[in-house]
Amino acid sequence: MSDPTQISVFQLMKSRMQMLGERQRVIAQNVANVSTPGYVPGDIDQEAFAATLQRMAGRSSGPGRTAMVATQAGHMTPGHGPGSPTLSVKKSPDSETTLDGNAVVVEEQMMKIAETRMDFETMVGLYQKSLGLLRLASRAPGR
Amino acid sequence: MSSDLMSAMGAAATGLRAQTVRIRIAAENLANADATANTPGGDPYRRKAPVFRTLYDREIGADTVKVTGSRMDMSPFQMKFDPSHPAADADGYVKLSNVSSLVEMADLREAQRAYEANLNVIESSRAMMLGVVSLLKA
Repeated sequence: MSDPTQISVFQLMKSRMQMLGERQRVIAQNVANVSTPGYVPGDIDQEAFAATLQRMAGRSSGPGRTAMVATQAGHMTPGHGPGSPTLSVKKSPDSETTLDGNAVVVEEQMMKIAETRMDFETMVGLYQKSLGLLRLASRAPGR
Repeated sequence: MSSDLMSAMGAAATGLRAQTVRIRIAAENLANADATANTPGGDPYRRKAPVFRTLYDREIGADTVKVTGSRMDMSPFQMKFDPSHPAADADGYVKLSNVSSLVEMADLREAQRAYEANLNVIESSRAMMLGVVSLLKA
């Protein structure tokens, strides 16, 4: 427990921020290709992300759940380790497709950008607060 | 994570470049809208259109966009009866370029909108990155 990155709250926030960074990259690709014929925009598969995140959170401290432990040298660690949920990009065409087959609508992508930014800033704020709590706890009493 | 945001900025930057090329081509079309042939019966200026392509850039790590060239607009020229014109053919008709200023203006406006959208992406990514850096200051 000495490493703050091992606390599950920090781990959850970290993986969410990773997801938001990745999402920003995908949306940037969509906006850059707003004039490319036949381009279909993508987005992060939020359901898959939420599912793996839930599994991750459950694995570390869920009631009735036990994580697999490597007891011998030959044991392999299961799947993706904690802190790295799968991020899959799926095609998500916007509400309109132009005659040349391009399915990017700038307005909808701008909304996604704003959404991602707000989420990200919330996460940064939460991270700051949690670090502040740790700092408060580690301070000597009466100081 | 920050490399994702850098990739986002890189992709948006290629978008800015591509839209600039598009604006340049529209400007060329508008500038040459009245250009006729030098020889009697010859072809006037033919409208050009940019060709956009998606390319995966390994260095940036994202699907970027590039204008790979321009193609000629093969729509027919307008004919105007003007026998005194140096480019008039035997029947007295002059071929005028197939540039429509209305189409070019619409294209320019669309390019401008796409440019602003890309700028918006860069600004957002920058703000997100600065937010993470501010964690160090606290």
